[in-house]
Amino acid sequence: MAHRLCVLCETSKAIVKRPKTGQQICKECFFNVFETEVHNTISQASLFKPGDRVAIGASGGKDSTVLAYVMKTLNDRYNYGLNLFLLSIDEGITGYRDDSLETVKRNQEQYDMPLKILSYDELYGWTMDSIVQQIGKKNNCTFCGVFRRQALDRGAAMLNVDHIVTGHNADDIAETVLMNIMRGDIARLGRCTMICTQGEDTIKRSKPFKYAYEKEIVMYAYFKKLDYFSTECIYSPEAYRGHARAFLKDLEAARPSAIIDIIHSGEAFEIKEDIKATQKVQQTCKRCGYMSSNELCKACTLLEGLERGMANAGITDRARKKMDAEGPTPQNIRTIPFFQTSTRPGSPQPNNVENPQVTS
Amino acid sequence: MSSCGNPAVESDALMTRKPKYDKSRTCVRCKENTGNLVIRHAVYCKDCFFPLITHRFRRSLEPFVNPKPDGPRRTALKPTGDLLIGYSGGLGSAVLLDLVARCYVTPDKSLVTAEGGRDHPRKDRVWKKVRVCYVEVCDAFPGMPDRTEEIRMAVNKYQDLEFIPLRIQDSFDPKFWKSTGVSPDQLLQYSLDLGTEDLLIASTSTSSEPTAALRAYLAALPTPSALPTILKTLTRLLLLYTAYSTKSSHLVLGTSLTSLAVSLITSITQGGGFHVKEETQEEWRPTYSTGTNDFQPSELPIRIIRPLRDIGMKECGAWAWWMDVKVVGREKWVWPGAKSGIGSLTKDFIVGLEKDYPSTVSTIVRTCGKLAPKGEVDGRCILCERPIQEGIQEWHSRISIRSRADLTGKSESAPRSISRAQPSLTSLLCYTCHTTLTSRSSRSAPPLYPGLSVEKKVPLPVWIDARLSENSLHAGHNEVITGHFLTEGEKRDALKYYLLDD
Ligand SMILES: [Zn+2]
Ligand SMILES: [Zn+2]
Ligand SMILES: [Zn+2]
Ligand SMILES: [Zn+2]
Repeated sequence: MAHRLCVLCETSKAIVKRPKTGQQICKECFFNVFETEVHNTISQASLFKPGDRVAIGASGGKDSTVLAYVMKTLNDRYNYGLNLFLLSIDEGITGYRDDSLETVKRNQEQYDMPLKILSYDELYGWTMDSIVQQIGKKNNCTFCGVFRRQALDRGAAMLNVDHIVTGHNADDIAETVLMNIMRGDIARLGRCTMICTQGEDTIKRSKPFKYAYEKEIVMYAYFKKLDYFSTECIYSPEAYRGHARAFLKDLEAARPSAIIDIIHSGEAFEIKEDIKATQKVQQTCKRCGYMSSNELCKACTLLEGLERGMANAGITDRARKKMDAEGPTPQNIRTIPFFQTSTRPGSPQPNNVENPQVTS
Repeated sequence: MSSCGNPAVESDALMTRKPKYDKSRTCVRCKENTGNLVIRHAVYCKDCFFPLITHRFRRSLEPFVNPKPDGPRRTALKPTGDLLIGYSGGLGSAVLLDLVARCYVTPDKSLVTAEGGRDHPRKDRVWKKVRVCYVEVCDAFPGMPDRTEEIRMAVNKYQDLEFIPLRIQDSFDPKFWKSTGVSPDQLLQYSLDLGTEDLLIASTSTSSEPTAALRAYLAALPTPSALPTILKTLTRLLLLYTAYSTKSSHLVLGTSLTSLAVSLITSITQGGGFHVKEETQEEWRPTYSTGTNDFQPSELPIRIIRPLRDIGMKECGAWAWWMDVKVVGREKWVWPGAKSGIGSLTKDFIVGLEKDYPSTVSTIVRTCGKLAPKGEVDGRCILCERPIQEGIQEWHSRISIRSRADLTGKSESAPRSISRAQPSLTSLLCYTCHTTLTSRSSRSAPPLYPGLSVEKKVPLPVWIDARLSENSLHAGHNEVITGHFLTEGEKRDALKYYLLDD
């Protein structure tokens, strides 16, 4: 049998079996379909408009490294007219973040994008190392996740951007859909497949890789020879999420389309209207001004717990009540500086997420 | 509490795990007796257990018996037709049959009078006639024993029930179709090409015997995961058409809380998010109801209800044990690649999780109950007869590019490069069925039937033949198949982007 030809261009030799579809295609066509699918995702949702300032949440890992490369490529190819920035959060994990930040700094030079690094230490007065020292390895991912999300928004405000894009891929989203169903987190279930979310007063966040398979991101980085820092966080992930991830990998092996099939499911349903009405309304945290479903946002609650030596206060309701019973918040603890999105003079208000303006 | 020790009960229902109960060993209901069973952290005694389960069963069924939901005042139960029980032989369906018999066929006074006047056994039966339908799947699996007679005996232990045994290959039998009374009564026959993703169909004159047709169809499915999905769909449709032909207004299934959670997640992993509601409860009527049957389903659809959806496997096991219910048991579906199929993976995952996080199953069902389908309905799937979500093919071609036309973006309105005249099932399928028939695995599975050569062109279930036969009478979706049937050369030409050199 002769060399199998690429099923897409029918001229070059097929060199990969595409993880998402199983089709045998050539390298150029792989780049092309990968990038075009991301472009389709962006243009279908009308994510950007010309002149937008967009920060790429960059960790130095594979997802964000490929995202930075692809965003730059598409911005040039399709004339999105975006000003791109790199935004990195330094969680303060010795040996993990130090090295990965080097990768981000290299990206800054390679792609000629301004870089902003914001550290947990700077914002919260705590590093992940010092948090783990106090609370141990249990629940530390809760701290890290809550702190990172808010840090990204704050870094973005410092950069004066309209929009943050993150490297969440299809595997992440499919896994989150399953997790939210199994944990009964109906509010997050309604949100997690949205390409773009925006809380009150915060910057838009989007996931241009929401349909990109993790395996293909790795493949893309490999063929493009993009260097990224490859390691799992040294503070191990929560067990429950680990189960869901392993399950998803088994499903993908059984049928590669399972990942987009799950995302499709997540997009094919919504929260019933009468249930929506009972959901908590978003408010702003009375202490730091960040969006929150309670008086105090999650980050402020976690931080207060840390400061008062009752780290579980932000994890369980019972511990939270116990902390409240211990008396009012002391004056001398560290708190997060008050949050305000800066509006550039003359810059238009961010788009409504439900009805974004049409991109070029 | 000791293990109930009933060997007939499925293993995951056995009460061997250490009791996990709150504070007291006394029954939470009567507050007198020592508890015999723990249900989600609450302790119940045996005397209180039966009314509790009966109450949950009736609560999940009776509000849906009358065509219109009750107002503030409860009215008498007056269904517009008979009752059909879908019976698999498994634990859930055995308990369901027992409950239906005790509540509606030969009332068990100890249960139905317990809650006072309005629940007195009635002189008139709620459903005039109750039938039990069993679909034997053994002919789909080489070497599987036929359990029909065992099931018949289990059903005959109850009085006044009619037993309807079917076989899975009836779904390929024009005689079965004719018996349903749904038009047209004469079927044209079509074949489906499962060799490509385009799902091309052509009329054919070769007809095969139902078992051979079933096996040809199953053998050509693209993944081992597709097999149980298809068998479940065929069984469901056989039950539905039987409910129709027996003038039943309700079809009840013995899906327990545990199996409902598994089937919800299985459906979601196969892209069935649009059908979350139907997985729990649905209404159905045949597409064309102009046949010889004088029942008028165009006015009232058949309700498919799962009255055990609030009752876990463990409670079903306890009911079966204490009530001495005969559980025939379901044969394990064994086929090459079964273990690594999506259905078995999901079951293992959920059941395993439930052990560490005991509320997983009820959380899943509760969460899914808060969901509604999103977007518009665009017709009804020709295979599973559930609604098709609008725009699924466009969605697919945008985010999972499979052709040069999709890549160059020249096909915004018609994502597939096949001409609209090319007869294909694609636009007539829901997301899940389309995925089931087209999505491939990267690993190859051994053949389902050793010795049977796998044909790419396979026969179709009778209800698909029926709808395709009607195509010239009905517009809408079926416009796709009204074009002329193409010659091989024309097909090749239309498909030149898809065909690999062979
Ligand atoms: Zn190519
Ligand atoms: Zn706050
Ligand atoms: Zn009791
Ligand atoms: Zn379907």
